Amino acid sequence: MKGDMYIARSPDKETADKAECGGAVTALLKFALESKKVEAVVAVKARDGNRYDGVAVVITDPKDLIETAGSLHCASPNIARFLKEYLDGAFNSKIAVVAKPCDAKAIIELAKRNQIKLDNLLIIGLNCTGTLPSAKAKSLFKEQFEVEPADVVGEDIEGNELIIRLKDGSEKKKDLAELEEKGYGRRENCRRCETNIPVMADIACGKWGTTDKDSTFIELCSDKGADFFEAAIEGGAIKVDQPSGNAVESRKKKDQAAVESAQKWQEKDFATLEEMSAEEKFSYWSEQFSHCIKCYGCRDACPICYCEVCFLEAERGFIPPGEVPPHMLFPMVRITHVMDSCVNCGQCQDACAMDIPISRLIFMLSKKIGAIFKHEPGMDVTALPPLRTVTDQELGQEGVEVTF
Amino acid sequence: MSIECLSTICPYCSCGCGINLIVKDGRIIGQEPWKEHPINEGTNCPKGKNAYQFLYSEDRLKMPLVRKNGTLKETSWEEALDLVASKFKEATPENFGFIASCRNSNEDAYVMQKFTRVVMGTNNIEYCGRLCHSPAAAALIPAMGSGVMQTSQPEIELADCFFLAGVNLRETFPMIARRVLRAKARGAKVIYTDPRKTTTARHLADIHLQLRSGTDAALINAMMSIILKEGLENKEFIASRTAGIDELRAFLAKVDLKQAEEITGVPLEKIKEAATTYAKAERGCILYDQGMSQHYVGTDNVRNHANLALLCGHAGKPGSGINSMRGQINGEGSGDMGCLCVFYPGFKRVGEDSAKLFEEAWGVKNLPTKPGITYIDMLYKCPYLYIVGGDPMMVVPDTNNVKKALEQANFIVVQDIFPTEISKLAHVVLPAATWVEREATHTWIDRRVQKINKVVDPPGEAKPDWQIICQLAEKMGRKNKFNFSSSGEIFEEIRRCIPQYKGITYERLSKTVGGIHWPCPSEEHPGTPTMFLEKFNTPDGLGHFQVVEYKPPAEVPDEEYPYFLTTGRSIFHYHTGAMTRRTPKLNDEVGSSFVEVNPEDAAKVGVKDKDLVTLKTRRGSIEAEAKVTDEVPPGLLFIPFHFADSCANVLTISALDPSAKCAETKVCAVKMEVKA
Repeated sequence: MKGDMYIARSPDKETADKAECGGAVTALLKFALESKKVEAVVAVKARDGNRYDGVAVVITDPKDLIETAGSLHCASPNIARFLKEYLDGAFNSKIAVVAKPCDAKAIIELAKRNQIKLDNLLIIGLNCTGTLPSAKAKSLFKEQFEVEPADVVGEDIEGNELIIRLKDGSEKKKDLAELEEKGYGRRENCRRCETNIPVMADIACGKWGTTDKDSTFIELCSDKGADFFEAAIEGGAIKVDQPSGNAVESRKKKDQAAVESAQKWQEKDFATLEEMSAEEKFSYWSEQFSHCIKCYGCRDACPICYCEVCFLEAERGFIPPGEVPPHMLFPMVRITHVMDSCVNCGQCQDACAMDIPISRLIFMLSKKIGAIFKHEPGMDVTALPPLRTVTDQELGQEGVEVTF
Repeated sequence: MSIECLSTICPYCSCGCGINLIVKDGRIIGQEPWKEHPINEGTNCPKGKNAYQFLYSEDRLKMPLVRKNGTLKETSWEEALDLVASKFKEATPENFGFIASCRNSNEDAYVMQKFTRVVMGTNNIEYCGRLCHSPAAAALIPAMGSGVMQTSQPEIELADCFFLAGVNLRETFPMIARRVLRAKARGAKVIYTDPRKTTTARHLADIHLQLRSGTDAALINAMMSIILKEGLENKEFIASRTAGIDELRAFLAKVDLKQAEEITGVPLEKIKEAATTYAKAERGCILYDQGMSQHYVGTDNVRNHANLALLCGHAGKPGSGINSMRGQINGEGSGDMGCLCVFYPGFKRVGEDSAKLFEEAWGVKNLPTKPGITYIDMLYKCPYLYIVGGDPMMVVPDTNNVKKALEQANFIVVQDIFPTEISKLAHVVLPAATWVEREATHTWIDRRVQKINKVVDPPGEAKPDWQIICQLAEKMGRKNKFNFSSSGEIFEEIRRCIPQYKGITYERLSKTVGGIHWPCPSEEHPGTPTMFLEKFNTPDGLGHFQVVEYKPPAEVPDEEYPYFLTTGRSIFHYHTGAMTRRTPKLNDEVGSSFVEVNPEDAAKVGVKDKDLVTLKTRRGSIEAEAKVTDEVPPGLLFIPFHFADSCANVLTISALDPSAKCAETKVCAVKMEVKA
């Protein structure tokens, strides 16, 4: 039932060998397809076996699942957008989707906006302490680890260390904080992300709480997830043990440590923006937005944006067309439209051709709004976007102020 | 449910950015960032973000068309190619001309020049590189040994001073502006020459030298003179890596700075600031494009910027050099392949030796040994024309005159993806496959060779350009020399004939994200991101100074035509607009032509914003909507050249650069009237 925890692995040797942590996730996806509980699986695979080129794939034949096994730390495809844009938001088919916490949160935000049909989705969540920017990761491996990027066969973030596994079976480690100080390391949004265990998904899977490399710690986070998982046990699709009290405790501690690290990053990231005077802020952001070339990359990448014909499109006539940089209303409208629901996925900043720290800004505002309304985006599909449901009375309260 | 995410490279400018296409049941339904690609790391400019829509425009050419009783009628490939073959058999090596494009793939371009030389027996093969970057070869081969971009795109970030010579970087190469911005964040300075106060002037440049159109040479002479006077030249570099400094020094000693200030209209203090900033930099990077080269003194302009780079030692280092920025997807490659009347493939200058070399390579006899006719001359002199992927009616100056000449032509074949202005004059129109409708390589701005895979089928009976030409060669009795069954086979021949490409293979390209920079002499060689690290490619290995005297523009304003006119681009459009004007989101941004007018001039003539005005030169007139803005200074008008219905080149002057035969499309005299 919901809330139960397990240590799980695949009963199939090939899956367990090829995948990581005993292949529990792959085994669950296989069961989902074979038992016809879903028609398709959406997961991420290394295109042409290239670890730096993870892309979303739609799989209907269980045999193909093996190519999605194992984790990819140097890839961050936009899973929620993929579902919404190319799979009709799961309105017409039942789909199991593998999601990092930010993917799962974005899916929930889209479900709130009636863009994804949550009833048709089974969200298999993966623990995550961050992904690395694909292109930059290769220079990190070359310049800091002094290895050929193609020789890397696995990455891991364990506590404060970035560990890579090489073709020849050896491992190399480096202090993540030091790397990040030098401008390498995780994507900026990942550094400040406090959600490492995807409890908003139906099932949360991860290695924290396991003692060997051949098993996965699983938490059942919804009734739907629990029913599915119990059916998988019953069907012999997955082998399970009960986690020890120590295991549960260890998982919790690792999560806490990661959360604390994220909070430090938040303080640091936000401080650079907050410490400025009002004039400095104005000039800083005017300068940043003056770099904009109106590519719409941030909007298109934002999993929360969903309007069929966006207010910012030239044909709407609201923003004067053909200008670069666009009128200041362009970034302002973008920010205000999503700032109560940002899930800090970082996709907007990844897509910004001019390196504008847009995700940092929107997430900071989202945290401020969240504190006022006791709202956390992406966690609960019934908790509607606060700026949409805000009452006149709430707006009239004194001492409430959001600035940037 | 078949949904695939397939990688490709953007079809627009020459940066070569990666894109992921989402393909469902054989049709592209969307695009997503390709974050691994080293050029753009998952980001794109407005055109790159709307890369594929043009493929599905309803008016794509799908069947061959043959003109019957004055109108183009659909026909079979058999009939169309039979007709073309019979007509081209009438042509002589002197009166046949082939115009290739910066949009062709390497394989297409290679087959086109081979067809022209082997089947038609002439070097009358040109491509639109002639109209934008021919001064690069003319000036930089003597100066440094090659006209190519000298550094790689990622290395641009290493520079600590940029000289953007007439390139509105934020609009024309936004993905390179991104790198300049990163360098700026680390303290780099940006010098920018442009008569217009563009978005680059406002939002990227530190020092904007708002010179008068066409006065670049005078400005650079002044800068060099200041550098020498202050002793800021790089003495060690000059001594060890250059020749000819004494002549330059003697010439510059006579430069009158006051006069330079008058000619250029740039305050001397600003010229000094720019000169010392560039000279004192560790790693100066000159980036330039048509703003400097589309003048009848284009070659001189490039020569003088090369002088400046050599004087300060800003060459032969990653992130430095004088870098010609080719604007189109295969601007580099079509030249590499030999689509120029003076070069066999691999920039082997046309002559007895090169003809002999290719006679052996291709197993043929009697290859032409004399240079052919250049692009613009071809339009006037060759009554048999084969034009692929380009629109001379849009890009050549004095279009009205071009039209008159072409109306007299015996036989014009146009091969393209859409009906164009030139196809209106064609006798036969052949439908081509493009971009991801076929497998091919292109060579991007920094000699970066990348491969594009086939993702979708071409519409109707459209075919890859190379296939059409091979079939035509077969009909003309030369099947044995054009017996290619795939683009891969053509590339293998390219590798055998062009030493710079020898080490590049389809297999390597499919495994190398971001491609390989030529020169790449062997399959083990990683490619060459930076040129001239050890020495220049000149016969003596040295960089050569070439003294340049300033010459005023061919046509300057007078009482009748009181304004300077200059032309250029918008970030939302691409060249003749054939692709971007069929892309709704881009066309919604800028849907029609406009003319930028300074408020002072507008007040004088009584023009208000959005008024329709008539622009008239000695060659013709067009109408455009006035955009009253201080982006242009008083006395200068600007129009973009993307719009067929308001074609900028009706107005421009056909004054040609004597060395490069590039035209002065960046400056002429014009008058403006409010439309009654």
